[in-house]
Amino acid sequence: MAESGSTDVPQPTPPRGNPIVAVVSAWLIPGMGHVYLKRRLRGLAFLVLVVAAMLIGCRLEGNLYQVVPGQPLTILATLGSMGMGFPYFLLRYGLHYQGNVRGAGYEYGTAFLLTAGLMNLLLVLDAWDIVRGKKE
Amino acid sequence: MLSHFLLMVLFALLVSLFFALLWRRGRREQVKLFLQIFLGMVGGGLLVAWLMYPFPSGPPAPIP
Repeated sequence: MAESGSTDVPQPTPPRGNPIVAVVSAWLIPGMGHVYLKRRLRGLAFLVLVVAAMLIGCRLEGNLYQVVPGQPLTILATLGSMGMGFPYFLLRYGLHYQGNVRGAGYEYGTAFLLTAGLMNLLLVLDAWDIVRGKKE
Repeated sequence: MLSHFLLMVLFALLVSLFFALLWRRGRREQVKLFLQIFLGMVGGGLLVAWLMYPFPSGPPAPIP
């Protein structure tokens, strides 16, 4: 008869940091949540990937979504883009970035910008799982 | 910079690298997942393009 402690189910490990700090820092700066949780190399790699997607999107003059009245789907797209955290607000309000709908790379750039936000949202969830001990 | 194929490959590269790092821990596992996603995206894109080849492209969409 197997003992109760000898199952193969991985046991959750105790939290390694403040969950709020981990999640907020992960959202604000891509990869920062992982750096806070002592995953420095992975955090740096995630920072490079998200920022690269963002820069390529800007280079292609893609659309950085904002809410358009009467178009409810833009709310979702805006939330997705805002997932990139501080860079979104820097582009939107600091650099007054505007996409160019007449640009040849407009659609591609929009996809890159939206993907950067969505990738960072996944990083926030990953940081949450790590800090709660559900993931290494 | 504006080659459709190059942009597709670049996008697939970023996304597959991201998910390989996010979902796998061991280097071997990461490389395996990276190749699966990357080749799946690029190969899938080429397959869809090939299937759409007989269809006429039509005039470009009007810019609002």
